[in-house]
Amino acid sequence: MRRPRLVSGIAIGVLITLLFLLPVLYVVMMAFESPSHFLASPMTPGSPDLGNFGNAWNSADLGPELLNTVLYSVVAAALAVALGLLIAFPIARRLLRGHSLLYTFVFVGLFLPLSIIPMYAEARMLGLFNNRIGYIIMHIVQPGLPGLPLAVVVLTASLASVPLELDEAAWMEGASYLSYLGRVIVPLTRPALLISFLYAMIWVWNDIIGPVVLLADPGLAPVTKGIYSFYGSNESQFTLLAAGVVIVSLPVVLLFIASQRQINRASLVGGVKG
Amino acid sequence: MMWGGLVLGVGVYVLFGIVPMIGNVIISFTDYTGLPGEAVHNTGFANYTSMFSTQAPGFDQAIVASLVFVIAVAIGQNALALLFAHKLVGNGKFAAVGRLLVFLPIALGVTVVGLVWILIFNPQEGPMTSFFGLFGIHSAFFGADNWAMPLVIFVQIWQNAGFSTLVFIGGLRAIDPALYEAAAMDGVGGWQRLRRITFPLLAPSVTVNVMLAVVGAFTTYNLIYVLTDGQFGTQTLGMLSYNVAFGSFEADLGYGAAVSVALFLITLVVALPLMALLRGRERRLLR
Repeated sequence: MRRPRLVSGIAIGVLITLLFLLPVLYVVMMAFESPSHFLASPMTPGSPDLGNFGNAWNSADLGPELLNTVLYSVVAAALAVALGLLIAFPIARRLLRGHSLLYTFVFVGLFLPLSIIPMYAEARMLGLFNNRIGYIIMHIVQPGLPGLPLAVVVLTASLASVPLELDEAAWMEGASYLSYLGRVIVPLTRPALLISFLYAMIWVWNDIIGPVVLLADPGLAPVTKGIYSFYGSNESQFTLLAAGVVIVSLPVVLLFIASQRQINRASLVGGVKG
Repeated sequence: MMWGGLVLGVGVYVLFGIVPMIGNVIISFTDYTGLPGEAVHNTGFANYTSMFSTQAPGFDQAIVASLVFVIAVAIGQNALALLFAHKLVGNGKFAAVGRLLVFLPIALGVTVVGLVWILIFNPQEGPMTSFFGLFGIHSAFFGADNWAMPLVIFVQIWQNAGFSTLVFIGGLRAIDPALYEAAAMDGVGGWQRLRRITFPLLAPSVTVNVMLAVVGAFTTYNLIYVLTDGQFGTQTLGMLSYNVAFGSFEADLGYGAAVSVALFLITLVVALPLMALLRGRERRLLR
């Protein structure tokens, strides 16, 4: 019994390493290759060369584009989560008649295929086409992964573990609704807030269709459009593309790893308390 | 205050989630081009009838491509996730690292994932090009008719297997360990325990994962856009809808909307019976 388990464990370890670690490591290696060395021997690492990062940064306006991306994804995700909490709290506390109907109404949003076509038409009509505010607003309930409905579903589940007595205590003290949400509910549901925020953010961060359809001005373009432009031109651009991929994904991966710890710790503490 | 917040939240959801859904249906009955200032006419069911005409080819192929993509992804993603979850459910360090690794593609995001695999399979210097070259296999991979679809399916699974794995791990952890202990005391073997305890009690997670994989695979096209732009036999319905609207010079948003309505109906036709089937399976197994 023990030996086969060990063998299959090692097999899975090797499989996961080959499938998930190696491709990513290869692209990181590629990003540090000088184009000439890469063309000569694509499979072996040469002496690390930072040139791709400099070239990628300069040749595609990655700096301003990265700023656009941060602005779009952080604000859109924060709005999705904040609005999600405003919907989830009354549902979770059954503060209105038809709370389960409302929940279903928002829940189906997870499965509705939002086509980009009506989003484009709506953006044109409401003056939200080709501007920053419009782009952010069009990404709260996103085409693709629906940030707002997801936040409502995750937060409603999480709020069930926040004791009702806290509401009553705040009610007695006369705390205002929003300050109660901000001071009591937000800290207690932080893991759920973080998870919904990260999911929504990663999607906006990576959206490639949105910038093509909803934006026209190059100065408004997010970074996905910038690195995508490395692809499809001549072959010496491959190391440049790899560097671009590393630049774009590094902030999110670091944020993800950092919050992974926080999510784990928070749920552990919650478990002990509960 | 509570009502204000509720109205604001639901208002945004309706305005930017529900209204576009309805708008999509309305647009599908027009010749909307998306160009500002151009008149929009009601064209009745013209966009729908032209799906089946020879003038707008690609619809039949797109249905086939979508079905192949969805079935392969749903099976592959869940089989792989089940395997991973079974091995990564523990509290050990290796399991924790493994969970982080299979989840990595989700943190990378869809565009980055697409570009990573384009680099790996690039026909000039990509490592997989060298690897397959060892066996005398030479191909343009994402640019080849017989390779593009299997590879796109593979990358979609690669991107999403981590999420399914976490759902399965959640399901596995919810199973009361006392059941396994009791079974072990009664001398029930490992395989039997898997079959009699794990499988039935995991049924709700299977339902969630299959539904997410099916609906996700039907509606996604961002990844396909990055990998192949719908060329080389990878034009699913979602990709077709996008391409006729924004990809070509035709700017036929009306037809694109009609294709996405068709996609929605096909998704419903597949998803609803599947949901009923899986729910029935849950009830049967958990009885």
